[in-house]
Amino acid sequence: MKILVPIKRVADPDNANKVKVSADGSRVTSEGLEQKVNPFDEYAVEAALRLTENGATQSREGEVVVCSVGPKDVAQTIRGALAMGAERGILVDGADDAMDANVIAAVLEKLYAQEKPDLVVLGKQQVDGDSNQVGQILAERLGLPQATFANSIELADGGKACVVGREVDGGVLRVKVGLPAVITVDLRIVGSKAIANGITPATHAYPDAPRYASLKGIMSAKKKPIAEHTIASLGVTEAPRIEYLKFELPPKRAAGVKVESVQELVEKLHSQAKVI
Amino acid sequence: MIEWSEQHLAIRDMVRRFVEAEITPRLEELEHGDTPPYEVLRKLFRTFGIDEMARARFAAIEARGDAPRAERDAEHGESGDALAMRLIPVIEISRYSPGMITALGVSAGLTAGAIMSRGTLRQKKTWGLPLTTLEKIGAWAITEPGSGSDAFGAMKATARSDGEGGYVLNGSKTFITNGPYADTIVFICKLDEGDSVPAESRKVVSFILDRGTPGLTQTKPLRKMGLHASPTGELFLEDVRVGKDRLVGETEDVPARAAAKETFSAERTGVAAMALGIVEQCLRLSVDYANNRVQFGRPIGEFQLIQLKLAKMEVARMNIQNLVFRQIEMASAGKAMALAEASACKLYCAQSAMEVCLEAVQLFGGNGYMAEYQVEQLCRDAKVLQIYGGTDEIQISQIARQLLGRG
Ligand SMILES: Cc1cc2nc3c(=O)[nH]c(=O)nc-3n(C[C@H](O)[C@H](O)[C@H](O)COP(=O)(O)OP(=O)(O)OC[C@H]3O[C@@H](n4cnc5c(N)ncnc54)[C@H](O)[C@@H]3O)c2cc1C
Repeated sequence: MKILVPIKRVADPDNANKVKVSADGSRVTSEGLEQKVNPFDEYAVEAALRLTENGATQSREGEVVVCSVGPKDVAQTIRGALAMGAERGILVDGADDAMDANVIAAVLEKLYAQEKPDLVVLGKQQVDGDSNQVGQILAERLGLPQATFANSIELADGGKACVVGREVDGGVLRVKVGLPAVITVDLRIVGSKAIANGITPATHAYPDAPRYASLKGIMSAKKKPIAEHTIASLGVTEAPRIEYLKFELPPKRAAGVKVESVQELVEKLHSQAKVI
Repeated sequence: MIEWSEQHLAIRDMVRRFVEAEITPRLEELEHGDTPPYEVLRKLFRTFGIDEMARARFAAIEARGDAPRAERDAEHGESGDALAMRLIPVIEISRYSPGMITALGVSAGLTAGAIMSRGTLRQKKTWGLPLTTLEKIGAWAITEPGSGSDAFGAMKATARSDGEGGYVLNGSKTFITNGPYADTIVFICKLDEGDSVPAESRKVVSFILDRGTPGLTQTKPLRKMGLHASPTGELFLEDVRVGKDRLVGETEDVPARAAAKETFSAERTGVAAMALGIVEQCLRLSVDYANNRVQFGRPIGEFQLIQLKLAKMEVARMNIQNLVFRQIEMASAGKAMALAEASACKLYCAQSAMEVCLEAVQLFGGNGYMAEYQVEQLCRDAKVLQIYGGTDEIQISQIARQLLGRG
């Protein structure tokens, strides 16, 4: 099985409160913040690795190709995934502001045509833009079945299909998609038994988290190939369709008031907050 | 080397993630000595495949057979990358627990090293390998109640021939890291051949002992100022009988004094990396505190006396980092640091780490003196860097001896 995993870097989500809006309101700046792999993308890499290995013996049983669109230094993000165990990388050079979800999906469509993977596994959304669109647009462009917000993936029909548990309001919806397909993953996809590939023994329990790259993995990542393209060299002509007009921070919340009793609270909710 | 490479940073980030997930949540129990550090350290080895790498290295040694020593040295010299890979976890973990690194370094570094460098192939396989993978915990015992800095001169521990090809060991050792829990102990003593040779000129030999050997007592951990994540104890040997298979190298002519000196130098490299971790952490915490603690209506970082402390910490951090880089660079060039330079390096790093810690406590004011703030622990821990692995005074005299041409 061959899986294509698009990944992206984002400004350190643990320090998201340090993100600022530029003085003229034209853009969001994350200067001084470390760039890290988007957490949902890391879950996608982990899911793809679990789908293509024997988790008990740690032998590789398939191929994971990781790709990223962005400035040259996303190579570092790609190498992080190679250190975890992915086989190859593809870097598509492009400036961050020359992209929206549609452009990215157009790039991925080209890569899909080159690589012909059995699955494209993506994070459900980026934690910076939170747009939650690339997977869906890609499936539409490719005319492939899609299963979004996956919290479990089970290979079925002798590897010709996947049964995907999707996190939806009020529960889990199980859908079967024929391969090739596009799957976007949610946090629980890294649960200890979330992936069943028919190779890893059902008794094997993974840690409830993406794996650590081993020292050997980090050393060998340097030698794994990363192919380079540009958006133009792939023949993508789409331009971004989304234009950002203005950014502003949410208004500061006024300080709260302390109330002495439930009676006073109800009274204030009625007369001042006007919610009851 | 002028900065960490992308690969080094990738290793650092992974180790940081491990520290955040596995060490900081347990720091309290580890630092109160309630929980020995070994399980977390084993998990570190498994997680990053360090145990696997040690097994692969040993398989290579075994395949090559027991090559003569000179040849071995040429091949064994650690590469720069290998050294960096070893030092980065030391730096990162020392930010929180220099004690864990001491326990780790003594077991997988010093004790394993003593067997791996001078033992026979069989000894390496039986006792060395399980130490390098952390399956077993090791202790290296030279210090005695009456002999510390003058480790060889005043050493009282003895080995006597039992007349049947084996030995009878006696003596007591103190301040022994991992002593209370060690499975494998390298015991250094003098060969008593029953003649009139004065004690100072007797041969030094070392033996490998297992936990539970009759006549061997391993005490409970001693109470101490800091470094609580590293259990330190005493060992008592009373007529412990061992076969020749326990004598490191299986011959009385192994240069055990030279071997012990090598072990001291190995210890010195580790100190620079530990000091770097401690200093980086103090600086990070201090900058944060200086930005956020408000007195007289402004952040204390606006007071010049506080700025001076931060600037001094930064200078120390740069210098220590450069010394660590130099160690890595020398390893890459296949060169070993001369004893006087290693001494200078250890002296500087240990003293700077202590000064930085004291400044950090001062910068934190009353909070700095409280256990709730980490600088209090780091300050207690840093002090040991000036004592073990050769005291500051011993480093100074070694540097001076070399300068004066008496080295
Ligand atoms: C936490 C901890 C862990 C340790 N772990 C181990 C271990 O695993 N294995 C092991 O064998 N040992 C271990 N040690 C022992 C350590 O190596 C010794 O404590 C150290 O070498 C100093 O010896 P001493 O304590 O006997 O001090 P002493 O040698 O008695 O020194 C006392 C003072 O005199 C000074 N002094 C001594 N000689 C001179 C001189 N010639 N000129 C000037 N000043 C001098 C010293 O610098 C010191 O200030 C450990 C110690 C500690 C604190």
